[in-house]
Amino acid sequence: MGLTDFLVRAAARRPSVLLVTMPGGTPVRLAAERELRCRGWAEASTPAGADLLLVAGPDCPALRSGPDRLWDDMSRPRVRLRAETAEAVAPVLDEGRARLGETERGPYGAVDPRGHGGPPMAGPGEDRDGLTLDRLHLSLGPFLADWPAGLVVRVVLQGDVIRRARLGEPYETGPADPFWSRPWIRASAGEPVPVAEAARRRAAAHLDSLGRLSAVAGWPAEAVAARRLRDDLLEGAPADAVLPRTMRLARRVGRSRSLYRLTWGIGPLTAADAHAAGVSGPAARAGGDVPARYRQWLSDTLDDMRRLDDTTTLLDPVAEESPRGRWDTQRPPSAALAGLLPRLLEGTELAAARLVVASLDPDPDEPAVRRQEVARG
Amino acid sequence: MNGFTAALSLLALALLVVAGVHGAARALRVSHEPLAAQPFGSGHEPVEHAVSRFHMRWYTVTMLFLAFDMEMVFMYPWTLVISVMGPTAVIEMFVFLGVLLSGVLYAWREGALRWA
Amino acid sequence: MVDAGKWWTLPVAPALLLGFAVLAVAGKTALDDRGAGRSVTPVGVLRPLLAVPRALVAQPRRLPASDRLLWRLGVVTVPVAAVLSTLVIPFGNHVVADLSVGVVWFNAMEVLTWAGLWLAGWGPNAAFSLVGGYRFLAQGLAYELPLMFALISAATGAQSLRVTDIAGAQHGLWYAVWMPFAFAVHLTGVLAFSFLGPFAYPAGRDIADGVLGETSGVDRLLLRAGRWLWLAAGAAMAVPLFLGGGAGPGLPAWAWSLVKTVLVLGLLVWVLRRLPALRADRYVELAWVVLLPAAIVQVLVPALVDLGP
Repeated sequence: MGLTDFLVRAAARRPSVLLVTMPGGTPVRLAAERELRCRGWAEASTPAGADLLLVAGPDCPALRSGPDRLWDDMSRPRVRLRAETAEAVAPVLDEGRARLGETERGPYGAVDPRGHGGPPMAGPGEDRDGLTLDRLHLSLGPFLADWPAGLVVRVVLQGDVIRRARLGEPYETGPADPFWSRPWIRASAGEPVPVAEAARRRAAAHLDSLGRLSAVAGWPAEAVAARRLRDDLLEGAPADAVLPRTMRLARRVGRSRSLYRLTWGIGPLTAADAHAAGVSGPAARAGGDVPARYRQWLSDTLDDMRRLDDTTTLLDPVAEESPRGRWDTQRPPSAALAGLLPRLLEGTELAAARLVVASLDPDPDEPAVRRQEVARG
Repeated sequence: MNGFTAALSLLALALLVVAGVHGAARALRVSHEPLAAQPFGSGHEPVEHAVSRFHMRWYTVTMLFLAFDMEMVFMYPWTLVISVMGPTAVIEMFVFLGVLLSGVLYAWREGALRWA
Repeated sequence: MVDAGKWWTLPVAPALLLGFAVLAVAGKTALDDRGAGRSVTPVGVLRPLLAVPRALVAQPRRLPASDRLLWRLGVVTVPVAAVLSTLVIPFGNHVVADLSVGVVWFNAMEVLTWAGLWLAGWGPNAAFSLVGGYRFLAQGLAYELPLMFALISAATGAQSLRVTDIAGAQHGLWYAVWMPFAFAVHLTGVLAFSFLGPFAYPAGRDIADGVLGETSGVDRLLLRAGRWLWLAAGAAMAVPLFLGGGAGPGLPAWAWSLVKTVLVLGLLVWVLRRLPALRADRYVELAWVVLLPAAIVQVLVPALVDLGP
C-alpha cells in the first residue's frame, strides 16, 4: 500500500540506532558515536525504541547470543547492521537507512522461537533494612547504554536497591587490543612512542569516561560536549583548539554545584583502599567519592592537553600512567577497578550504582589482555 | 457551554484523537501480527517477572505528603475568604502550617527525608 | 471581558497546545544541534516529528504477562490530562471554560500524571520500567507541594481560584514581579510534571529510559508527546497566573498571550540542558526543607497584602 511505504521511507530518514559494542570494539564505537552525532540520529537505549541495530566491533562467539536477543526484541521496521572496523561505520549506516526505507508490509511470523512458559515470580528475601521483600535477579551489562562494553554485573535487586552484586564470569574474546592503552603496550614492547601521543590518548580516554558519566547522571548536553572534545582530540586537533573548550567544560561540569550535590558521598574509595585493591591511576589519586573522581579526570585532562606539543620526549610506560592506572600486562588497571565493583555496589540504588560504575569506568578490553597473555604463557 | 459540557467535550475530543491515531496505526502498520518480545535485560533474558513487592523506602515521605495534601483541601477555599474573615483567617492558617512544618522538621531530623 | 464557552475554543485550545509543544521540541532540537556542532536548519529541527510516521507503521510488540490495559491507560492519561488542563487556561480574551475552581482543575489534571506514569511503568512487567514508574512517585512527593503553594500564592493574590480573575487582578504589576519565588517554583514544577531535562529521572538513561524503555509504536508516541504537551500547558498556565495574562500595551490580548507563552517556553527549554538529573533521593530533602517552607512564606506575602487597606 502506497501510504505505508511513504511513511516507512519518511521515518527511515532519521532512524534511531541501538548501538551494541562488542568487546574490543572501542574504536568502532567511537566512530559510530561520532557518526550518529554528526547525522543527528538518536541513540536508542532499548530494542523497543530502535530502528537499526548496529553491532560494533569484532565478532565474539561467547557473546553472540546478546545481539541476537536484542534483535529478536525489535519490532519492524528494523534492520540489523554490523561494523567490524571504524571505516565501515558510515557506509553501513547508509546501507541501514536505505534498507529500512524499503521495509515492506507483510505478515511476519509472530512465533517466539524461545517459547513462552513465562518466567517465575520473584521470591522473597530479607532486605538491607530488615524487611522481607521480593528479590529480582538482573544483569547489568554486557549490552547497556553508556556502560563499559562487555562488563557484566549480576545484581539481586529489592525495589531499586542492589542487595548483592557480583561480577559476571569472564568470557573468551578474540585478539585483545585495548584501544585506550595502546601507546603503553607499544612502549612496553620497546617501540618509541612520543609522550604527546600518550597524553592525547589519555585525555581522550578521560573525556570518553566523562561523557559516559554525564550521560548516566542525566546530563546529555555535557555528555555531547565531552564526546565532541574526545573526537576532536583523536582526530589530532591542536592543543590551542581544544584547551579553551576543555576549560569551559571543566568549569561547567567540574564546578557545577548541582552535579556535586547530586553525587557527593556516592562510591567512596579512599586512596588507601584503592592501593590495597591494586588500583592506581585517577581513581586512586582522587581518593574519594564520585565528584572527586570526575574532578580528577578533568584536571588530568587539562594537564595532558598542555603536553600535546611535546613531540621530543618518549613515553616511559612505567613512569606515565595509562588512562586507568599504571600499565602492567599481567595485572591491567581495569581488572582492579572492576574488582572493586561488587563491594561498592552492594546497598546502593540503581542510579547510584550506575554513577559508581561510570566514575570508575573499567575498560573490559584490558583484562582481556591478561587472559590472552596467560593463555599464551 | 457550561463547565461540565466543556470538560466532557474536551475529554471526548482528546480521546477521539487518541483513538484516531491508534486506528491509523492499525490501518498503516507494516505487520498486524504482534512481535513476541522480552523486556530489555542488557542482552540477557529476564529470569523472573519484574512486578514484585517493591521497596518504597520513601514511604515516610508519603505520610508527610498526605498531611499536607489534606491541608490543601482547606487552603483552596481559604484563599477566597481572606479579606472577609480578616486577620484571624491568616493567623489560623499559618499557625496550622507552622504545626505541619514543625512535623516536617522533626521528620527531617529523624532522617525520614533521606533514604539512599 | 473574557469570553468563555465558545464552541470553537474546543478544537482551538488543543491545537494551540500542540503547536506550542512542537515549537518547544523544535527549540530543544535546535539547541541540541548547536551543542553537537550540527547545522541548525528550519527543516532539521522538525525531525523529531518523524516519530509520528514511525509510530504509525510500527509492528505491535507484546511482552510476557504485561498488563496491557493498565499500561495503555497510563500512557493515554499523560497526554489526555495535558489537553484537559487547557480547559481553564485563558489565551488572550478567550477560555474554553471559565471554571470558578480553575486552579484546582489544573492541579488535579497535573496530578493525574502520577497515576499515568506509574501505570506506564508497571504495565510492561519490565524491571527498568517499574523502577522508572516508582521514580516518578518519589519525584512527585518532592515537586508537588511547593508547586501547589506556588499556585495558591497566585490564587491568594487575587482571592480567587478562577484563572481569568487571577490574570485580571494583576493590574499591570505582575505576580512574577512581587512573587518571584512562586513563579520560579511553578516553572520548576512544570519541568517536573513534564519529566523533562533535570526531571527526566523516571525516564533516565541510567535505567534504559525507564518508563519509556519498553513502549513502542503509538504508545511511545503518546507518552513522549505527553511530556511536551505538559511543558506547553505549564508554560501557558504561567502566563495568566504570574505574567498578567493577555494584558499589555499596543498589541491585542491574544498576541500578548502568544508572546509571553513563547518566552516562558523558551526559558524552560533553555533550562532543560543546563542541569543534570535531579534524583529524588537528593531532591526530596531540598524540596521539603528549603523549597516548601519558602513557598509557604511566599503565600504569606499575598495573604498579608489581602488584609491591607
